[in-house]
Amino acid sequence: MYHTLGNRGERVSKPSDLVQGTLDLLLLKILALQPMNGWAISLRLKSISGDVLQVSEGSLYPALHKLEQEGWITAEWKQTENNRRAKFYSLTRLGRQHLEKEAANWSRLSTAISHVVRLEEA
Amino acid sequence: MGPQHWMYTIPLRLRSLFRRRRVEQELNEELQFHLEQKIEEGIAKGLHPKEARYAAMRAMDGLEQRKEEMRDTRRIHWLTDFFDDAGFAMRSLNRTPGLAAFVVITLALGVGMTSAIFSIVDATIFRPYPVPHPSGVVTLVSTTRDSSFDDFSYREYLDIRSETKSYDGVIANADMEAVGFSAAPAATPRIKGGMLVSGNYFHALGVEPRVGRGFREDEDQVPGRDAVVVLGPDFWKHEFASDAGVVGRTIRLNGTEFTVIGVAPESFPGMLIFGHPDFYMPLAMARTFSTNRQKNFFEDRDDRELNVSARLKPGTTLQQAQNELAVLAKNFEREYPKVNRSRGAAVHTQFEIRTRGDDVNWKFGVIFMILALAVLLVACTNVAGLLLSRARTRTREIAVRLAIGAGRFRLIRLLLTESLILASLGGLAGIAIGYGVVEWFHTYQNVIFMTDLPLSIPFRMDTRALLASLVLSVLSALLCGLAPALQSTRVDLVNGLKSADVDVPDRKRLWGRNVLVVAQVATSLMLLTASFLMVRGFQHGVLEGNGFAKDHLLMASFDPRLVQYNVAQTQQFYKLLAERVREAPGVQGEALTQNVPLGQEDFDGVAFVPDDFQMPRDRENFNSTMDTVDQGYFETMGIPILRGRGFLASDTAEAPRVAIVNEQFAKHYWPGEDAVGRHIRLDSPTGTPVEIVGVAQTIKYQDASEKAADFVYMPLAQHPVARMALMLRSSGDPLQLVQPVKDIVRTLDPNLPMLHTMSYEDFYLNQAVRGPQIAIDLVGSMGVVGLLLTIAGLYGLVTYNVSRRTREIGIRIALGAASSDVLRLVMGKGLVLVGMGTVIGLAMGFAVEQLMNSMLFNAGGVDILAYVIVVPSLFLVTMLAVYVPARRASRIAPTQALRYE
Repeated sequence: MYHTLGNRGERVSKPSDLVQGTLDLLLLKILALQPMNGWAISLRLKSISGDVLQVSEGSLYPALHKLEQEGWITAEWKQTENNRRAKFYSLTRLGRQHLEKEAANWSRLSTAISHVVRLEEA
Repeated sequence: MGPQHWMYTIPLRLRSLFRRRRVEQELNEELQFHLEQKIEEGIAKGLHPKEARYAAMRAMDGLEQRKEEMRDTRRIHWLTDFFDDAGFAMRSLNRTPGLAAFVVITLALGVGMTSAIFSIVDATIFRPYPVPHPSGVVTLVSTTRDSSFDDFSYREYLDIRSETKSYDGVIANADMEAVGFSAAPAATPRIKGGMLVSGNYFHALGVEPRVGRGFREDEDQVPGRDAVVVLGPDFWKHEFASDAGVVGRTIRLNGTEFTVIGVAPESFPGMLIFGHPDFYMPLAMARTFSTNRQKNFFEDRDDRELNVSARLKPGTTLQQAQNELAVLAKNFEREYPKVNRSRGAAVHTQFEIRTRGDDVNWKFGVIFMILALAVLLVACTNVAGLLLSRARTRTREIAVRLAIGAGRFRLIRLLLTESLILASLGGLAGIAIGYGVVEWFHTYQNVIFMTDLPLSIPFRMDTRALLASLVLSVLSALLCGLAPALQSTRVDLVNGLKSADVDVPDRKRLWGRNVLVVAQVATSLMLLTASFLMVRGFQHGVLEGNGFAKDHLLMASFDPRLVQYNVAQTQQFYKLLAERVREAPGVQGEALTQNVPLGQEDFDGVAFVPDDFQMPRDRENFNSTMDTVDQGYFETMGIPILRGRGFLASDTAEAPRVAIVNEQFAKHYWPGEDAVGRHIRLDSPTGTPVEIVGVAQTIKYQDASEKAADFVYMPLAQHPVARMALMLRSSGDPLQLVQPVKDIVRTLDPNLPMLHTMSYEDFYLNQAVRGPQIAIDLVGSMGVVGLLLTIAGLYGLVTYNVSRRTREIGIRIALGAASSDVLRLVMGKGLVLVGMGTVIGLAMGFAVEQLMNSMLFNAGGVDILAYVIVVPSLFLVTMLAVYVPARRASRIAPTQALRYE
């Protein structure tokens, strides 16, 4: 624990249950459907993935910020339904391209993996 | 990551950078919004608000860490951290302004000196030719036993041009020479610098004229046919007010009408280091200019007056060009054995030609550079020492930082940022000093170049010099900051935090500081030795005397070619001039000479075969420098004739040829015998015999610090020369003779200008005393700066040691140590360090002396006096720097010292 103290570059905890990079994909997909604020995204994540994919609320925001800094999503301050100011994220053109690419990658990968898994069963 | 990506990210990064507070605020707001929602959700589930709040915080899994992670995604940390560090460094430096100022000044002196001297080294060695693709331009030289950098003759140049295949254009130029210029036919000619160049000169170099055109090939083919001229940019600006209409106009050069066809661009001041030709003429017009009158420029293969350069074809290596030229040189040797015997050829790059062994300017630059780097080194070690002792007092702070989790690398970065800031400030101030020094160089313009030719000091603080200063600053930041940073972050945490005594240095650490002091003492000893040797080297020549009288002499030069005199008219003019000035009131003696002693122009050479001398088998002839003088020369200049006679009125053109040699020459060829009555034959064993009628005392000819050299004098009547200097010995102030001489010249020819009219003593002082003074001042100030820095460093070290040991010394005194014991204790260490530094410095001093002797001065052996003076004075001064704090230590009151802290 001590060795990480104060080293900014190092992640203190990781979304360990999530395959690396999948959180990005999930977030991009969610935002592709409609622009949303962080809180709403966290609710949506929970509802769509249930207990299978555990995304800590803590790692959500760094991930969102990373996507923003990469230029894949962009943010805008808007009023929520109950009149609170919140930061709404939406997909950029670049993000859409990235999502398509990543989604294609993902399905290729998952097809391949499930194929392998089934092979073993047979 | 394409440009499209950057379109999104660059504004974001800029925003994170410049709207930092706003971005931070948004980050907080966003998280706050999330937390509030979460709390509301918790309350809705029936939790107590407080508990809901805890739960929300827990779910974030460490709010502050998350924030840091989010900040990390902005990818500008390296920069913001740097700003943070810089801010911190500024604040902490602000707490010790004295130290900061001292460090900045120290570094400024080091960087300033070095960058000013870089401008010398750059101008004399590295600065590329002002042409496109300068690295492709190579220089071709003829080589002999005596010279590795000889010129080519016109015929040889034509052959090289037609028979080599390695080049895209082979060009030739003569030396820049004095040319009489007048814009209108009636105007009295003024002296300007012109250069004969081959017709392809501008084209092959890739220089596009600013207005008009360059030479056409056919304008350089028929001797004397095409009188066309291309103007240099400066000349065009000053003489013709940058008027583009000058093209097509006629100007007179040496009395001949030339048509202006173009103007070289601003970017092309010429290929020379110091000279910027006012205009360029085609080689075919050589007869109008001062080519060797004894030879036929266009026909004689041994009339070698041309520098040949060429542009290498892309893909051709220097070695290939070299091989090709070597074969050609062999052919020359076979075809023209008489003039090309044991003569080779070589191809050199710009660097090789700039660092040629027979040129002294770049050598001064290199020696200065070595010394300046030594000053910079002393400055850096000094600063390193200061930062080190500063870091000591911060041990506690650093230990605390490390204990609460700061990474060592991060701390080193922080400390390096501090030294980088110091070095940047020092660098900035250094650039200012550099500008000052370069400006100071330029004040010597008229001292160094007492000539009518367009020569100027090429040292500049240009972008290259600024870049060099920048690199030097950063390097010195690393040099003086890295060691302290590494050392002070290697803290034993337990001791560092526990110890009441903030500073617990171990042996190893002190060792580092001791090394710094030894290095400083050694380097400054070397610097002082070098400056002392520089003074002595120049004084040597001055004190030793030059073998002739310098006072009460007026000099003035004439060049009758400017008014189109032929050889007979020229001879007649000088004959009448000499006769008439001799009669003038106040004139005690008259002399005519081609070159004034210790002047700025090179002496001519003479090739000869001495009588009764066994020539080495592989030699055709020997060479010596020579001067052409009249019969009054030796007496007027006070040069004793040791044997035989001086020149007489009877040594006319019709009389048998005679010459006078110097003592060195006589000893060289006829040791132990009388040279008078012997003959030398010009050029070859069958050449014109010349009888030696006298032996003159050897004097300094070219340079006050030169070694005794062979020398031959020829009488003007038998060896016609166009450009001569008149020397008049006066009974009173020599300048009072100016008007009478002017009047006499006017009666002879009202159009002939008098050039270079000045008191010879003034000229001599500038040449031999004030010029070298630059070098002496420069090296001297480096020595002084080095010494001052060393004293400061030593003083600082001992003071620091004393303050560190205050308690120990207090106890010693309390236990009965006498103040002399304490003095011994404190000084002993300093003495050892200074002693070690002196020994090493002596070795470095000897090395520098060797280097200076081999490169600059002809002095051999070791200048004992230099060391006898420098070593004890350095020792005394440094011991004083140790003594002052040591004495303070010996007076420490034990009661006070024990209460300390």
